[in-house]
Amino acid sequence: MGLSNFLDLFQGITTLIASNPAVLAARLGLMLLGMVLVYMGKKGILEPLLMIPMGLGMSAVNAGVLFLDPATAAAVTETVQSGGHPVAGTLFMAPLVQKTDNLMYVLQIDFLQPIYTYMFSNGLIACLVFMGIGVLLDVGFVLARPFLSMFLALCAELGTVATFPIAVAMGLNYGEAASIAMVGGADGPMVLFTSLTLAKELFVPITVVAYLYLGLTYGVYPYLIRFLVPAKLRGLPMPERPALRITSDEKLAFAVVGSTVLCLLFPSAAPLFLSLFVGVAVRESGLKYFVAVIDGPILYGATLFLGLTLGVLCEASTILNPKVLVLLLLGIIALLLSGIGGIIGGFLAYYFSGRKINPVVGIAGVSCVPSTAKVAQKEVSNVNPEALILPEALGASISGVITSAILTGIYVTLIPLMK
Amino acid sequence: MKIAVLQAFVIYGIAFVISMLIALLITGLFRLVRRISGSS
Repeated sequence: MGLSNFLDLFQGITTLIASNPAVLAARLGLMLLGMVLVYMGKKGILEPLLMIPMGLGMSAVNAGVLFLDPATAAAVTETVQSGGHPVAGTLFMAPLVQKTDNLMYVLQIDFLQPIYTYMFSNGLIACLVFMGIGVLLDVGFVLARPFLSMFLALCAELGTVATFPIAVAMGLNYGEAASIAMVGGADGPMVLFTSLTLAKELFVPITVVAYLYLGLTYGVYPYLIRFLVPAKLRGLPMPERPALRITSDEKLAFAVVGSTVLCLLFPSAAPLFLSLFVGVAVRESGLKYFVAVIDGPILYGATLFLGLTLGVLCEASTILNPKVLVLLLLGIIALLLSGIGGIIGGFLAYYFSGRKINPVVGIAGVSCVPSTAKVAQKEVSNVNPEALILPEALGASISGVITSAILTGIYVTLIPLMK
Repeated sequence: MKIAVLQAFVIYGIAFVISMLIALLITGLFRLVRRISGSS
Protein backbone atom coordinates (compact mmCIF):
# COMPACT_ATOMS: atom_id res chain seq x y z
CA MET A 1 0.00 0.00 0.00
CA GLY A 2 1.50 3.32 -1.12
CA LEU A 3 1.60 6.50 0.93
CA SER A 4 -1.20 8.10 -1.10
CA ASN A 5 -3.50 5.12 -0.43
CA PHE A 6 -2.63 5.26 3.24
CA LEU A 7 -3.43 8.98 3.38
CA ASP A 8 -6.72 8.36 1.57
CA LEU A 9 -7.69 6.40 4.66
CA PHE A 10 -7.32 9.59 6.74
CA GLN A 11 -8.90 12.17 4.46
CA GLY A 12 -8.99 14.90 7.10
CA ILE A 13 -5.19 14.90 7.07
CA THR A 14 -4.97 14.43 3.28
CA THR A 15 -7.20 17.44 2.60
CA LEU A 16 -5.16 19.45 5.10
CA ILE A 17 -1.92 18.62 3.27
CA ALA A 18 -3.49 19.20 -0.13
CA SER A 19 -4.90 22.65 0.77
CA ASN A 20 -3.10 25.95 0.12
CA PRO A 21 -1.12 27.48 3.04
CA ALA A 22 -3.80 30.06 3.94
CA VAL A 23 -6.54 27.42 4.20
CA LEU A 24 -4.20 25.08 6.08
CA ALA A 25 -3.37 27.79 8.65
CA ALA A 26 -7.02 28.83 8.94
CA ARG A 27 -8.19 25.23 9.48
CA LEU A 28 -5.57 24.54 12.15
CA GLY A 29 -6.25 27.92 13.78
CA LEU A 30 -10.00 27.30 13.91
CA MET A 31 -9.54 23.79 15.33
CA LEU A 32 -7.47 25.35 18.12
CA LEU A 33 -9.87 28.27 18.58
CA GLY A 34 -12.74 25.80 18.95
CA MET A 35 -10.88 24.03 21.74
CA VAL A 36 -10.09 27.36 23.42
CA LEU A 37 -13.79 28.33 23.28
CA VAL A 38 -14.79 25.06 24.95
CA TYR A 39 -12.18 25.69 27.66
CA MET A 40 -13.33 29.30 28.17
CA GLY A 41 -16.94 28.15 28.31
CA LYS A 42 -16.12 25.50 30.90
CA LYS A 43 -14.22 28.07 33.00
CA GLY A 44 -17.17 30.48 32.79
CA ILE A 45 -15.15 33.19 31.01
CA LEU A 46 -17.54 32.96 28.05
CA GLU A 47 -21.18 31.78 28.01
CA PRO A 48 -20.90 27.96 28.33
CA LEU A 49 -24.39 27.27 26.92
CA LEU A 50 -23.23 28.60 23.56
CA MET A 51 -19.46 28.27 23.59
CA ILE A 52 -19.20 24.56 24.38
CA PRO A 53 -21.34 23.36 21.41
CA MET A 54 -19.95 26.16 19.22
CA GLY A 55 -16.32 25.39 20.00
CA LEU A 56 -16.84 21.70 19.46
CA GLY A 57 -18.63 22.33 16.15
CA MET A 58 -15.85 24.70 15.02
CA SER A 59 -13.12 22.15 15.73
CA ALA A 60 -15.08 19.29 14.16
CA VAL A 61 -16.00 21.05 10.91
CA ASN A 62 -12.41 22.14 10.26
CA ALA A 63 -11.07 18.69 11.09
CA GLY A 64 -13.67 16.62 9.27
CA VAL A 65 -12.95 17.71 5.69
CA LEU A 66 -13.03 14.91 3.14
CA PHE A 67 -13.14 14.44 -0.62
CA LEU A 68 -16.73 14.61 -1.88
CA ASP A 69 -17.73 12.63 -4.95
CA PRO A 70 -18.39 14.88 -7.99
CA ALA A 71 -22.21 14.55 -7.80
CA THR A 72 -22.33 15.60 -4.14
CA ALA A 73 -19.77 18.36 -4.68
CA ALA A 74 -21.85 19.71 -7.57
CA ALA A 75 -24.97 19.77 -5.37
CA VAL A 76 -23.22 21.34 -2.39
CA THR A 77 -21.34 24.04 -4.29
CA GLU A 78 -24.00 24.45 -7.00
CA THR A 79 -21.27 24.53 -9.65
CA VAL A 80 -20.52 22.08 -12.41
CA GLN A 81 -17.50 19.99 -11.39
CA SER A 82 -15.33 19.64 -14.45
CA GLY A 83 -13.30 16.50 -15.00
CA GLY A 84 -15.10 14.51 -12.33
CA HIS A 85 -12.42 15.23 -9.74
CA PRO A 86 -13.32 14.90 -6.06
CA VAL A 87 -13.65 18.20 -4.20
CA ALA A 88 -12.91 18.92 -0.53
CA GLY A 89 -16.01 19.39 1.63
CA THR A 90 -17.76 18.17 4.78
CA LEU A 91 -20.82 16.15 5.71
CA PHE A 92 -22.07 18.83 8.13
CA MET A 93 -24.10 21.30 6.07
CA ALA A 94 -24.19 23.36 2.89
CA PRO A 95 -25.38 26.86 3.86
CA LEU A 96 -25.45 28.43 0.41
CA VAL A 97 -27.49 25.83 -1.48
CA GLN A 98 -30.40 27.56 -3.21
CA LYS A 99 -31.76 25.22 -5.87
CA THR A 100 -34.55 22.96 -4.61
CA ASP A 101 -33.26 19.79 -6.28
CA ASN A 102 -29.80 20.31 -4.83
CA LEU A 103 -31.26 21.08 -1.41
CA MET A 104 -33.31 17.86 -1.42
CA TYR A 105 -30.14 15.95 -2.32
CA VAL A 106 -28.03 17.63 0.37
CA LEU A 107 -30.76 17.20 3.02
CA GLN A 108 -30.24 13.45 2.72
CA ILE A 109 -26.46 13.68 3.03
CA ASP A 110 -25.41 16.46 5.46
CA PHE A 111 -26.48 15.58 8.97
CA LEU A 112 -27.10 19.14 10.24
CA GLN A 113 -28.75 20.33 7.00
CA PRO A 114 -32.34 19.77 8.28
CA ILE A 115 -31.62 21.92 11.37
CA TYR A 116 -29.99 24.63 9.25
CA THR A 117 -32.63 24.68 6.51
CA TYR A 118 -35.74 24.43 8.68
CA MET A 119 -34.64 26.35 11.77
CA PHE A 120 -31.63 28.53 11.07
CA SER A 121 -31.76 30.02 7.58
CA ASN A 122 -35.30 31.32 8.15
CA GLY A 123 -34.55 32.88 11.55
CA LEU A 124 -36.74 30.42 13.47
CA ILE A 125 -33.95 29.57 15.90
CA ALA A 126 -33.51 33.27 16.81
CA CYS A 127 -37.26 33.49 17.46
CA LEU A 128 -37.20 30.37 19.66
CA VAL A 129 -34.33 31.78 21.74
CA PHE A 130 -36.22 35.07 21.97
CA MET A 131 -39.35 33.22 23.15
CA GLY A 132 -37.25 31.66 25.89
CA ILE A 133 -35.88 35.07 26.85
CA GLY A 134 -39.47 36.36 27.03
CA VAL A 135 -40.37 33.67 29.56
CA LEU A 136 -37.40 34.68 31.71
CA LEU A 137 -38.20 38.41 31.66
CA ASP A 138 -40.09 40.07 34.47
CA VAL A 139 -41.46 43.13 32.69
CA GLY A 140 -42.64 44.46 36.07
CA PHE A 141 -39.25 46.17 36.43
CA VAL A 142 -39.95 48.11 33.22
CA LEU A 143 -43.54 48.89 34.20
CA ALA A 144 -42.39 50.29 37.56
CA ARG A 145 -40.39 53.11 35.87
CA PRO A 146 -41.18 53.02 32.14
CA PHE A 147 -39.74 56.38 31.07
CA LEU A 148 -36.47 56.00 32.99
CA SER A 149 -36.01 52.40 31.79
CA MET A 150 -36.74 53.16 28.14
CA PHE A 151 -34.62 56.34 28.18
CA LEU A 152 -31.57 54.54 29.61
CA ALA A 153 -32.03 51.66 27.16
CA LEU A 154 -32.20 54.05 24.26
CA CYS A 155 -28.99 55.84 25.34
CA ALA A 156 -27.34 52.42 25.58
CA GLU A 157 -28.18 51.81 21.91
CA LEU A 158 -25.60 54.44 20.93
CA GLY A 159 -23.32 51.76 19.48
CA THR A 160 -26.20 50.19 17.54
CA VAL A 161 -26.75 53.46 15.72
CA ALA A 162 -23.32 55.15 15.66
CA THR A 163 -21.53 52.04 14.33
CA PHE A 164 -23.72 52.11 11.22
CA PRO A 165 -22.06 55.16 9.54
CA ILE A 166 -18.62 54.01 10.77
CA ALA A 167 -19.17 50.64 9.08
CA VAL A 168 -20.33 52.34 5.88
CA ALA A 169 -17.19 54.51 5.96
CA MET A 170 -15.12 51.32 6.30
CA GLY A 171 -16.56 49.95 3.08
CA LEU A 172 -19.46 47.75 4.18
CA ASN A 173 -22.77 48.04 2.36
CA TYR A 174 -25.87 49.23 4.25
CA GLY A 175 -27.14 45.73 5.06
CA GLU A 176 -23.76 44.58 6.39
CA ALA A 177 -23.28 47.85 8.30
CA ALA A 178 -26.68 47.57 9.97
CA SER A 179 -26.07 43.92 10.87
CA ILE A 180 -22.70 44.52 12.55
CA ALA A 181 -24.07 47.67 14.22
CA MET A 182 -26.71 45.47 15.91
CA VAL A 183 -23.88 43.93 17.97
CA GLY A 184 -24.18 47.14 20.02
CA GLY A 185 -27.57 45.91 21.19
CA ALA A 186 -25.81 42.93 22.84
CA ASP A 187 -28.65 40.62 21.84
CA GLY A 188 -27.49 37.57 19.89
CA PRO A 189 -30.87 36.58 18.41
CA MET A 190 -31.37 40.13 17.12
CA VAL A 191 -27.96 40.15 15.39
CA LEU A 192 -28.73 36.76 13.84
CA PHE A 193 -32.15 37.91 12.63
CA THR A 194 -30.83 41.18 11.17
CA SER A 195 -27.84 39.60 9.44
CA LEU A 196 -29.95 36.74 8.02
CA THR A 197 -32.33 39.35 6.63
CA LEU A 198 -29.87 42.01 5.43
CA ALA A 199 -26.42 40.42 4.98
CA LYS A 200 -26.85 36.73 4.25
CA GLU A 201 -23.30 36.35 2.87
CA LEU A 202 -21.76 37.64 6.09
CA PHE A 203 -24.23 36.37 8.65
CA VAL A 204 -21.86 33.69 9.95
CA PRO A 205 -18.92 35.95 10.91
CA ILE A 206 -21.24 38.71 12.13
CA THR A 207 -23.18 36.36 14.43
CA VAL A 208 -20.04 34.62 15.66
CA VAL A 209 -18.45 38.02 16.41
CA ALA A 210 -21.62 39.01 18.29
CA TYR A 211 -21.71 35.90 20.47
CA LEU A 212 -17.98 36.02 21.15
CA TYR A 213 -18.12 39.67 22.15
CA LEU A 214 -21.12 39.31 24.48
CA GLY A 215 -18.55 38.09 27.01
CA LEU A 216 -17.12 41.62 26.89
CA THR A 217 -20.03 42.86 28.96
CA TYR A 218 -18.69 40.76 31.85
CA GLY A 219 -15.00 41.38 31.20
CA VAL A 220 -14.69 44.97 29.99
CA TYR A 221 -17.74 46.87 31.25
CA PRO A 222 -16.58 46.91 34.90
CA TYR A 223 -13.41 48.76 33.79
CA LEU A 224 -15.50 51.11 31.63
CA ILE A 225 -17.69 51.92 34.65
CA ARG A 226 -14.66 52.56 36.88
CA PHE A 227 -13.05 54.72 34.17
CA LEU A 228 -16.11 56.87 33.45
CA VAL A 229 -17.89 57.12 36.82
CA PRO A 230 -16.05 58.50 39.87
CA ALA A 231 -16.13 56.24 42.97
CA LYS A 232 -18.16 58.83 44.89
CA LEU A 233 -20.97 58.63 42.35
CA ARG A 234 -20.69 54.85 41.96
CA GLY A 235 -21.67 54.41 45.59
CA LEU A 236 -24.67 56.74 45.38
CA PRO A 237 -27.72 55.00 46.87
CA MET A 238 -30.90 55.20 44.78
CA PRO A 239 -33.75 57.22 46.33
CA GLU A 240 -36.18 55.03 48.26
CA ARG A 241 -39.57 54.76 46.58
CA PRO A 242 -42.74 53.13 47.86
CA ALA A 243 -42.89 49.57 46.53
CA LEU A 244 -45.15 49.50 43.48
CA ARG A 245 -46.97 46.20 43.11
CA ILE A 246 -47.31 45.29 39.44
CA THR A 247 -49.96 42.64 38.86
CA SER A 248 -49.84 39.85 36.27
CA ASP A 249 -52.86 41.47 34.57
CA GLU A 250 -50.87 44.65 34.00
CA LYS A 251 -47.87 42.77 32.67
CA LEU A 252 -50.10 40.68 30.39
CA ALA A 253 -51.88 43.80 29.10
CA PHE A 254 -48.48 45.32 28.29
CA ALA A 255 -47.38 42.16 26.45
CA VAL A 256 -50.55 42.03 24.34
CA VAL A 257 -50.70 45.73 23.46
CA GLY A 258 -46.91 46.07 23.10
CA SER A 259 -46.74 43.11 20.72
CA THR A 260 -49.66 44.33 18.62
CA VAL A 261 -48.38 47.92 18.35
CA LEU A 262 -44.81 46.89 17.49
CA CYS A 263 -46.00 44.32 14.90
CA LEU A 264 -48.20 47.02 13.41
CA LEU A 265 -45.24 49.41 13.17
CA PHE A 266 -42.62 46.92 11.94
CA PRO A 267 -44.15 43.88 10.18
CA SER A 268 -40.66 42.84 8.97
CA ALA A 269 -39.60 42.13 12.54
CA ALA A 270 -43.03 40.85 13.66
CA PRO A 271 -41.78 37.24 14.22
CA LEU A 272 -39.27 38.57 16.79
CA PHE A 273 -41.81 40.76 18.59
CA LEU A 274 -44.40 37.98 18.69
CA SER A 275 -41.85 35.47 20.00
CA LEU A 276 -40.68 37.77 22.78
CA PHE A 277 -44.16 38.76 23.91
CA VAL A 278 -45.55 35.21 23.65
CA GLY A 279 -42.91 34.29 26.22
CA VAL A 280 -43.95 37.21 28.46
CA ALA A 281 -47.68 36.46 28.02
CA VAL A 282 -47.26 32.76 28.80
CA ARG A 283 -45.32 33.62 31.96
CA GLU A 284 -47.83 36.22 33.15
CA SER A 285 -50.85 34.04 32.32
CA GLY A 286 -49.55 31.40 34.70
CA LEU A 287 -49.53 28.70 32.00
CA LYS A 288 -47.00 26.65 33.90
CA TYR A 289 -46.85 23.75 31.43
CA PHE A 290 -46.10 26.15 28.56
CA VAL A 291 -43.54 27.93 30.74
CA ALA A 292 -41.88 24.57 31.42
CA VAL A 293 -41.76 23.75 27.68
CA ILE A 294 -40.47 27.16 26.55
CA ASP A 295 -38.10 27.63 29.49
CA GLY A 296 -36.69 24.12 29.13
CA PRO A 297 -36.72 22.17 25.85
CA ILE A 298 -37.35 25.12 23.52
CA LEU A 299 -34.84 27.60 25.00
CA TYR A 300 -32.11 25.09 25.75
CA GLY A 301 -32.72 23.01 22.61
CA ALA A 302 -32.56 26.13 20.43
CA THR A 303 -29.44 27.40 22.25
CA LEU A 304 -27.70 24.04 21.83
CA PHE A 305 -28.38 23.90 18.09
CA LEU A 306 -27.63 27.61 17.68
CA GLY A 307 -24.16 27.11 19.18
CA LEU A 308 -23.53 23.89 17.29
CA THR A 309 -24.71 25.28 13.95
CA LEU A 310 -22.71 28.50 14.36
CA GLY A 311 -19.61 26.49 15.19
CA VAL A 312 -20.08 24.23 12.17
CA LEU A 313 -20.55 27.29 9.95
CA CYS A 314 -17.06 28.50 10.95
CA GLU A 315 -15.18 26.80 8.15
CA ALA A 316 -11.74 28.08 7.16
CA SER A 317 -13.18 29.83 4.10
CA THR A 318 -15.36 31.94 6.42
CA ILE A 319 -12.50 33.62 8.26
CA LEU A 320 -10.40 34.04 5.14
CA ASN A 321 -12.93 36.68 4.03
CA PRO A 322 -11.04 40.03 4.37
CA LYS A 323 -14.17 41.64 5.80
CA VAL A 324 -13.86 39.52 8.98
CA LEU A 325 -11.10 41.77 10.41
CA VAL A 326 -13.28 44.83 9.83
CA LEU A 327 -16.18 43.03 11.53
CA LEU A 328 -14.02 42.16 14.55
CA LEU A 329 -13.08 45.83 14.95
CA LEU A 330 -16.63 47.12 14.41
CA GLY A 331 -18.06 44.63 16.92
CA ILE A 332 -15.83 45.99 19.67
CA ILE A 333 -16.61 49.59 18.67
CA ALA A 334 -20.35 48.88 18.78
CA LEU A 335 -20.29 47.32 22.25
CA LEU A 336 -17.97 49.99 23.67
CA LEU A 337 -20.06 52.84 22.25
CA SER A 338 -23.21 51.27 23.68
CA GLY A 339 -21.57 51.02 27.11
CA ILE A 340 -20.44 54.66 26.90
CA GLY A 341 -23.90 55.71 25.68
CA GLY A 342 -25.49 53.89 28.61
CA ILE A 343 -23.28 55.72 31.10
CA ILE A 344 -24.00 59.06 29.40
CA GLY A 345 -27.70 58.21 29.82
CA GLY A 346 -27.01 57.41 33.48
CA PHE A 347 -25.37 60.81 33.96
CA LEU A 348 -28.29 62.56 32.24
CA ALA A 349 -30.71 60.73 34.55
CA TYR A 350 -28.50 61.70 37.51
CA TYR A 351 -28.62 65.41 36.65
CA PHE A 352 -32.30 65.51 35.63
CA SER A 353 -33.35 63.69 38.82
CA GLY A 354 -31.64 66.28 40.98
CA ARG A 355 -28.51 64.12 41.51
CA LYS A 356 -30.50 61.22 42.97
CA ILE A 357 -30.16 58.45 40.38
CA ASN A 358 -26.90 56.48 40.40
CA PRO A 359 -25.34 56.99 36.92
CA VAL A 360 -23.98 53.41 36.86
CA VAL A 361 -27.54 52.19 36.27
CA GLY A 362 -27.25 53.49 32.68
CA ILE A 363 -24.88 50.77 31.50
CA ALA A 364 -27.52 48.17 32.32
CA GLY A 365 -29.46 49.54 29.35
CA VAL A 366 -27.12 47.49 27.13
CA SER A 367 -29.59 44.64 27.24
CA CYS A 368 -27.70 41.33 27.53
CA VAL A 369 -30.21 40.36 30.29
CA PRO A 370 -29.31 40.05 33.13
CA SER A 371 -25.49 40.29 32.76
CA THR A 372 -25.19 44.08 32.51
CA ALA A 373 -27.60 44.65 35.42
CA LYS A 374 -25.54 42.28 37.56
CA VAL A 375 -22.28 43.97 36.49
CA ALA A 376 -23.73 47.40 37.37
CA GLN A 377 -24.92 46.23 40.80
CA LYS A 378 -21.59 44.53 41.52
CA GLU A 379 -19.61 47.68 40.71
CA VAL A 380 -21.90 49.76 42.96
CA SER A 381 -21.69 47.19 45.78
CA ASN A 382 -17.88 47.27 45.61
CA VAL A 383 -17.98 50.95 46.60
CA ASN A 384 -21.08 50.98 48.80
CA PRO A 385 -22.48 47.58 49.86
CA GLU A 386 -25.68 49.28 51.07
CA ALA A 387 -26.60 50.79 47.68
CA LEU A 388 -29.17 48.80 45.71
CA ILE A 389 -29.66 49.65 42.04
CA LEU A 390 -30.67 46.19 40.78
CA PRO A 391 -34.42 46.86 40.29
CA GLU A 392 -33.78 49.97 38.14
CA ALA A 393 -30.88 48.20 36.39
CA LEU A 394 -33.10 45.23 35.50
CA GLY A 395 -35.77 47.65 34.22
CA ALA A 396 -33.19 49.29 31.94
CA SER A 397 -31.79 45.93 30.87
CA ILE A 398 -35.19 44.49 29.94
CA SER A 399 -36.07 47.73 28.14
CA GLY A 400 -32.82 47.20 26.26
CA VAL A 401 -34.29 44.04 24.76
CA ILE A 402 -37.31 46.01 23.60
CA THR A 403 -35.25 48.91 22.16
CA SER A 404 -32.95 46.43 20.39
CA ALA A 405 -36.01 44.78 18.85
CA ILE A 406 -37.29 48.22 17.81
CA LEU A 407 -33.95 49.03 16.14
CA THR A 408 -33.98 45.63 14.43
CA GLY A 409 -37.43 46.51 13.13
CA ILE A 410 -36.23 49.91 11.89
CA TYR A 411 -33.14 48.46 10.20
CA VAL A 412 -34.87 45.54 8.45
CA THR A 413 -37.62 47.88 7.29
CA LEU A 414 -35.51 50.89 6.23
CA ILE A 415 -32.37 49.32 4.75
CA PRO A 416 -34.11 47.60 1.80
CA LEU A 417 -35.71 50.98 1.03
CA MET A 418 -32.31 52.72 1.04
CA LYS A 419 -30.78 50.41 -1.57
CA MET B 1 -20.47 58.80 4.79
CA LYS B 2 -22.42 62.04 5.33
CA ILE B 3 -25.59 60.33 4.15
CA ALA B 4 -24.95 57.41 6.48
CA VAL B 5 -24.51 59.79 9.45
CA LEU B 6 -27.76 61.51 8.54
CA GLN B 7 -29.47 58.13 8.24
CA ALA B 8 -28.11 57.15 11.66
CA PHE B 9 -29.64 60.31 13.15
CA VAL B 10 -32.98 59.54 11.49
CA ILE B 11 -32.86 55.95 12.78
CA TYR B 12 -32.05 57.15 16.33
CA GLY B 13 -34.85 59.70 16.07
CA ILE B 14 -37.39 57.08 15.03
CA ALA B 15 -36.19 54.72 17.79
CA PHE B 16 -36.48 57.56 20.34
CA VAL B 17 -40.04 58.41 19.33
CA ILE B 18 -41.16 54.75 19.31
CA SER B 19 -39.48 54.03 22.68
CA MET B 20 -41.10 57.03 24.35
CA LEU B 21 -44.39 55.99 22.77
CA ILE B 22 -44.00 52.56 24.36
CA ALA B 23 -43.25 54.19 27.74
CA LEU B 24 -46.34 56.36 27.33
CA LEU B 25 -48.37 53.32 26.35
CA ILE B 26 -47.18 51.49 29.46
CA THR B 27 -48.19 54.40 31.69
CA GLY B 28 -51.60 54.65 30.00
CA LEU B 29 -52.19 50.92 30.18
CA PHE B 30 -51.22 50.91 33.80
CA ARG B 31 -53.89 53.45 34.66
CA LEU B 32 -56.48 51.73 32.48
CA VAL B 33 -55.93 48.28 33.99
CA ARG B 34 -55.98 49.73 37.53
CA ARG B 35 -59.21 51.58 36.77
CA ILE B 36 -60.86 48.48 35.26
CA SER B 37 -59.79 46.27 38.16
CA GLY B 38 -60.97 48.96 40.61
CA SER B 39 -57.73 49.20 42.58
CA SER B 40 -55.94 52.47 43.34
